[in-house]
Amino acid sequence: MACRLAGCRLAGFRLAGFGIAALIALIALVHGASAQTPSKVVIGYLDLVSAQLVTKALGLHEKEMGLPVEWVAFGSGGDLNRGVAAGQLNFGGVGNPPATLGVSRGLPYKGIFVIDMLGPVESLVVRADKHIDKPQDLVGKTMAAPFGSTTHYMTIAYLRSAGVDPTSVKLLDMAPNDAVAAWLRGDIDAAYVWEPALNKMVTNGGKILMDSGSMAKAGYPTWDIGVVMDDFVTQHPDLVTKFVKSECAAIDYWLTKPEQTAAIIAKELKLPLDDTRRMMAGTTMVSCRDQIGADYLGTSNHKGKFVDTLVATATFLTDQKRLPKVEPRESYEKFIEPKFLETAVGQ
Amino acid sequence: MTSVEQASPPPAIARQRFLPRLRIEHALTAGSIVSLMVLWTLLSRYKLVNPLFLPPPRVVWNSFIEVLTVGYQGKLLHEHLAASLGRIFAGYAAACVVGIPLGLLMGLNTRVKAVFDPIVEFYRPLPPLALYTLLVMWLGIGNASKIALLFLAALPPLSISAMQAARSIDTGHIRAAQMLGATRAQLFRHVLLPSCLPGICTGMRISFGFTYTVLVASEIVAATAGVGWMIWDASKFLLSDVVIMGLFVLGLTGLVLDWFIRQFERLITPWRFA
Repeated sequence: MACRLAGCRLAGFRLAGFGIAALIALIALVHGASAQTPSKVVIGYLDLVSAQLVTKALGLHEKEMGLPVEWVAFGSGGDLNRGVAAGQLNFGGVGNPPATLGVSRGLPYKGIFVIDMLGPVESLVVRADKHIDKPQDLVGKTMAAPFGSTTHYMTIAYLRSAGVDPTSVKLLDMAPNDAVAAWLRGDIDAAYVWEPALNKMVTNGGKILMDSGSMAKAGYPTWDIGVVMDDFVTQHPDLVTKFVKSECAAIDYWLTKPEQTAAIIAKELKLPLDDTRRMMAGTTMVSCRDQIGADYLGTSNHKGKFVDTLVATATFLTDQKRLPKVEPRESYEKFIEPKFLETAVGQ
Repeated sequence: MTSVEQASPPPAIARQRFLPRLRIEHALTAGSIVSLMVLWTLLSRYKLVNPLFLPPPRVVWNSFIEVLTVGYQGKLLHEHLAASLGRIFAGYAAACVVGIPLGLLMGLNTRVKAVFDPIVEFYRPLPPLALYTLLVMWLGIGNASKIALLFLAALPPLSISAMQAARSIDTGHIRAAQMLGATRAQLFRHVLLPSCLPGICTGMRISFGFTYTVLVASEIVAATAGVGWMIWDASKFLLSDVVIMGLFVLGLTGLVLDWFIRQFERLITPWRFA
């Protein structure tokens, strides 16, 4: 029914006018606000054992950047990628499989420092009473791993390298904490997850079948890399350098003061000290000076081995139909951005 | 007899008045859908939206064909659809069997209402995903917890609409039937039930729509098949074309199933559609 009242059309125009003015004002406000100093920095992090817990506990970013920091926890790199796609984060951290996914999907971020090199801190745990001693025993069993993460990639790599068809294992997509609940209920026979969730399974009738350290030696390295959004780099490059500086300080703290680090992590993750020390031993921190070496990120002129790992991971995932295709090497090279490390280290 | 003849207009005039209105409304619907599709095509052709968030229609169509013929993660589209619809039907049917009689009883007997109403009214506004985490802990990661969630989601609209229908029965009809000597069974079958059916049918349609929306939530944790799972899994890998395609599949099948419910409505309450 068309509006027949005399003032209706005029009122309609006025309303539209107000609406458009309000919209313009809102856009100007948002745009204007982001161009100057941001009101806060949003950092996405994975709830695993790393030096970022030290950064968080000691408030290093707040001190260095002079801004409030909002830490947002994610269950896995796949979830963090989604947060990046939604534009929720300024900084984040992902494993190499989610990183290749991000490059493939054109997520607007760059890898700027190494969070960790994964070892036994991520392991495949199986029920001790199910007599699973080799990968072939997993056929027909129910297993959990967070899809799109390092351990999902490890699971498939492990099975494939042993000649087992991954689809013959009933693989379920579960975040580590959900997997713990399922394990305790007896719903799953195996899981490939990371600490501290891993420990809860091992202490409840589990035994380790394989870990990421051994897989790395077999030619499947996994690591977590810190990322920053492209638009944040464009608007606040100085803050990015400060971010990397603080993270480097935390890594040095881990390497030089292991006991204090263990105390901090034990408190953050609410774990006993012994377990924390064991978990710390299962992952490797790389000092920022080493990170610009050829084995890791490399330098701006000559990117390091991390590019090769990204290409290998992408090839693997494309095989598994998790990626449409392998991007050209330049895309992965572009993703790796060592210049902030170089500035932070003083090169 | 004569009043019936007078009530319905002569067929020729009825057709004339009916058809023109039908044409305009159909045109508007078609126009609305077409303009949305055109808008979508334009947005992606001129790259006004990041293709990660809104892939072009062609890409979404291709992923539909691919999942239909090759499959998504080892299962074809119809297998995913069968898994999801199986869960929905199981939960919905259970909710109908439990909810409708319960609602009728609650409407007819204040004591029954006093017992069950607080429970239903309490859990009704709770978000499904929060309930689901509890259900997974109690019932495990298999189909039981998923069907239980769908059952819990479907129940309140059914019981509430049945209850309201039972409470709004015209007492005049009841008294008239009693005057004519109806037994309690006859009263129920010839007066109560037909009076309540329209309200119950509306409740069924609302309940089904609501259950459908809870489907994705129920397939988030530890599913291996299902359209909701496919959407969730694809989103983890940022495959927005599969996500949008999955949403279309859900939406269109929902429309079809709603049409079936409306046909069922016409079947059991034909007097409303004369």
